[in-house]
Amino acid sequence: MLQMEDVYKDLGEFILKNVSLRVEDGEYLVIIGPTGSGKTILIETLAGIYAPDRGKIFLDGREITKEAPKDRNICMVYQDYMLFPHLNVEKNIAFGLKARKVPRDEIDERVSKASRLLGIERLLHRYPNTLSGGEQQRAAIARAIVMEPAVLLLDEPLSALDGLTREKLRKELKSLHSFYKTTVIHVTHNFEEVFSLADKVAVMNGGEIVQEGTPEVVFRKPNCEMVANFVGVENLFRGTCITKGDSLEIDVRGLRVVSTADEVMEGGEVFASVRPEEILMSKSPLDSSARNSFPGIVEDVVDNGSTMKICVDVGISFVVILTRQGYQDMELENGTPVYLTFKASSVHVF
Amino acid sequence: MSHRRDSWLKVLAISASLVLAAFIVAVLFLIVSHSPPQSFLNSLLSEEISFAIYLSLKTSVASTALCILIAVPAAYGLARYDFLGKNVVNTLLDMPLALPPLVAGVGLLLFFGTSPLGKVLAEAGLVFVFTPLGIVVAQFFVNMPFMLRIMRSTFEGISPRYEYVAKTLGCTDAQALLRVTLPMASNGLLAGAVITWSKGIGEFGAALMIAGATRMKTETLPISLFLNMSCGQLEQAISAATILIFISMISLYIFERHGGGACL
Repeated sequence: MLQMEDVYKDLGEFILKNVSLRVEDGEYLVIIGPTGSGKTILIETLAGIYAPDRGKIFLDGREITKEAPKDRNICMVYQDYMLFPHLNVEKNIAFGLKARKVPRDEIDERVSKASRLLGIERLLHRYPNTLSGGEQQRAAIARAIVMEPAVLLLDEPLSALDGLTREKLRKELKSLHSFYKTTVIHVTHNFEEVFSLADKVAVMNGGEIVQEGTPEVVFRKPNCEMVANFVGVENLFRGTCITKGDSLEIDVRGLRVVSTADEVMEGGEVFASVRPEEILMSKSPLDSSARNSFPGIVEDVVDNGSTMKICVDVGISFVVILTRQGYQDMELENGTPVYLTFKASSVHVF
Repeated sequence: MSHRRDSWLKVLAISASLVLAAFIVAVLFLIVSHSPPQSFLNSLLSEEISFAIYLSLKTSVASTALCILIAVPAAYGLARYDFLGKNVVNTLLDMPLALPPLVAGVGLLLFFGTSPLGKVLAEAGLVFVFTPLGIVVAQFFVNMPFMLRIMRSTFEGISPRYEYVAKTLGCTDAQALLRVTLPMASNGLLAGAVITWSKGIGEFGAALMIAGATRMKTETLPISLFLNMSCGQLEQAISAATILIFISMISLYIFERHGGGACL
């Protein structure tokens, strides 16, 4: 178990303000927050790059606040890989084991196992500058997990990669985590990574952790305006996935929502979201090609100035945004029956 | 109209660069082609020029080694750490670049000749005034800023995160520097060493002041050129100059090839 108690660190540009955090063994914690919120300094402090000004850090009951990075067994992977350019992939992966004076044949064995797991065994003799971004990040992850660290720190590990590679590596991170059962702290500002990877999520802002909990709780019940604005996900539902032909249906408490998303496994638990501005509201059924249309009644109307937020119950509760003009034209009030219509391509699944 | 003006400018600018290049080639060619190869070889093998070559190599290698030993850690400190008075130190360390070498030489002469520290060193057997040791010190003093600036910009160009990763993988601070940052800085180090060494071989003013110009004692290649020129032995002077030209050309080639992003 990793524990931070009231850790305070002022670097001038970035700051940590009395951060307390508890990560259980084998847990996958994702930290999200806007740029400059202190995410990177938090994990660099955990790694021992900076000594906290105040506060304590414990790893498995042992205080490591002042311990040198090399003695902590906490490894780190950065967004921009930081592979050593003068060493080939094999020597990069073996770097830490060699520094720890592990016997030669054990190094070989562990390096080949890690590189096999990450699918880079054919790249071992290449130098980092000859590899693609995805390959470099695999090598960087292999270099860290080969150490079998007590905690693995990932600083936006997927942010520099293109969409397809990111998706692939994200899944591999998930299977690596279930394989090694390592405690992982993963910093990102990508929500999809939260839903697909996190056991627990923590939101950071201004050097503080403002909320932590399961992804569902943080995204559905933000505890303050900052988190609500930052996570900014309305109409988020958890459901079961059913494939139908070339499209996908998500069963959300009996309501079948159609999506064009591919690649989601049959019968799996997924999250789906629809942006409020992509939902059309009408008083009679719309004749359109959109594949999602549900009757419901207006539950609540919130005046946001130039826009109105309308909550509609169609079996589950949807939020729809209307302009003030549109709202007045439709003459809505609580209890008015309405129809909600949105395209299958507006349903984001993760 | 504007098109014509543009092409005038183009012709003028390119001509200026060509004229400059031709001028440099002419100057170098006149020296190299002055004596027939036979007489160049003869003076090259003469006792005096052989001595000058040997002394130049010895002193320049020693001063370059000294520069690496001292300027590299200093450059690393300036690139990686913040400390009180860092800006002042930065400016002071660049000072010898702007200082006329003759002035530096006078300062060194006073420091090693008259200061208490100089006297203590002399009593301990380290005599710098009018000895080859003085040449080494003069070269070091004048050329250290080149090494320092190149290494400082090289270290600044290497993200400290490489060292962070190395430390989490089991390195101490020093091991991270030796196994990661220094190898990554090797191009800068090579470029810095080559430029320091070739500047060292050509160092004249400061060395003249502290070590003097004594035939067969403190006679490096530039000093030999100066001594032989003063007493009309043109052949000897020219061979010293020719050797210096070749050394400069080779160094420039290595510097351009490996200097990479390093800037002076």
